[in-house]
Amino acid sequence: MTAQWRMYLAMALMVSMWGCGTTEVVAPFERGHLAEQGMQWQSSSRNEKLKGHVYTSKEASSGGTGAAGGGCGCN
Amino acid sequence: MVATEQRRRPLPSSSPLIRRLSQSLLVLPAYQALPSVADAPPAFTEVGLRYTRYSEDSIDRDAVIFGATDRYDIDITQLWIEAPVGASWSVALDVQNDYQTGASPWFVGAQQNGEPGVIMSGASIQDNRVEVGVTTRYFWADGNAGLSVSHSDEDDYEALALALDASWNTADDARTWTASVSSSRDTLNPTQGVIPVFISEADLDTQSGYFGVSQILSRTAIARIGVNYTYSEGYLSDPYKLRDQRPDTHERIALSAGYRHFFIDRDAALQVDYRYYADSWGTDSHTLELGWAQNLSRSLITPYLRYYSQREADFFSVIADTSALDYADDYRLSSYGAVTIGARWAIAVNGAWSLEFEAERYMSDASWGLFGGDSAPALVDFWRGTVGVTWRFD
Repeated sequence: MTAQWRMYLAMALMVSMWGCGTTEVVAPFERGHLAEQGMQWQSSSRNEKLKGHVYTSKEASSGGTGAAGGGCGCN
Repeated sequence: MVATEQRRRPLPSSSPLIRRLSQSLLVLPAYQALPSVADAPPAFTEVGLRYTRYSEDSIDRDAVIFGATDRYDIDITQLWIEAPVGASWSVALDVQNDYQTGASPWFVGAQQNGEPGVIMSGASIQDNRVEVGVTTRYFWADGNAGLSVSHSDEDDYEALALALDASWNTADDARTWTASVSSSRDTLNPTQGVIPVFISEADLDTQSGYFGVSQILSRTAIARIGVNYTYSEGYLSDPYKLRDQRPDTHERIALSAGYRHFFIDRDAALQVDYRYYADSWGTDSHTLELGWAQNLSRSLITPYLRYYSQREADFFSVIADTSALDYADDYRLSSYGAVTIGARWAIAVNGAWSLEFEAERYMSDASWGLFGGDSAPALVDFWRGTVGVTWRFD
């Protein structure tokens, strides 16, 4: 299977899982737990930027949560 | 990376009841006193300082044919100030300084016993990188948009990046769409040192886009998916490696998904993040990260576990085949698996001051991977530790 077809398959699986998910109506006053710091997608933008920089310079993969920025001479 | 971030929430206060009430109020637009939601600028000015020590393990002496066994150590300092401007704007200035010393693999050859061995670059490499970024953000009732410019400069590498991102909510605020685009221009000026380099100057252009959506599933669960496409054209080889000739274009796609679930009885949140990555060089990878964010009386501690596995690039071989059109012996393009174990600890000292600590251990091994391929002799293990302090004031 080529990388292109693997990507199509992964995309189809993710969209399918998304479509199968169920949601309930949550009023604003019921969202207290969703506002917990541990429920956020990242601990802080500075920490995520630094971690992303470290992993990207040591692994072949990059991206996933935003558009790419400038590079560096890290090797 | 350009952050498509959720704005930070306040750390929990000591009283669970007060905390629940305040968090319920915070999601109402009229009570968004802190930069806790995407649709309101920060109410306070924030100044922060973080220091990070990154240290790679020495390479195994048995894997080295010639050169030093020490690898990179990097001292990273981050300083920022972020402030509201008027009723609908914010501006942030970020400065980061990286000072690195050490050595890296120059090329891989055959030892007398036939096993591959590394010739290291020597222990004389020193470099300092300074990155300055400015972000301005506009907030409206249902979303926000940011424009950022960053410039990174070091002895042998310069990068200028421009990025635009936006997030907007549906009418019921249950779903948030996020999009971002960026463009960067990098210029390499490799320095002649202990090892020879064969280019004097080269350029690299990169364009990137991201689109994602997050959805509230219940009072205690939220999920997101996103897709990221990046295209680079220009000099993509490593000028400090002897046998490294890569294609001059690089397409990358990353699919990401995340899930958060709050366990009320445990007063903690489960964090699950997954990414699938594939590129035009034949590499693809899986990344899975699990975290457990446990509220304590005045702090939040989050142990986490990350697993990563990648497939080798089409033109990678343990000892580079220089007769091929493209070739590389860079361990970062080989098949392997890696595990990271770490923990973050965020402490609210009082309403104005907060502290953070983080430590992680990264370990990699060819046998831990999901994909077949020969083992590269220079896979890296490292430690990373971070301490930080943040001050907020009117």
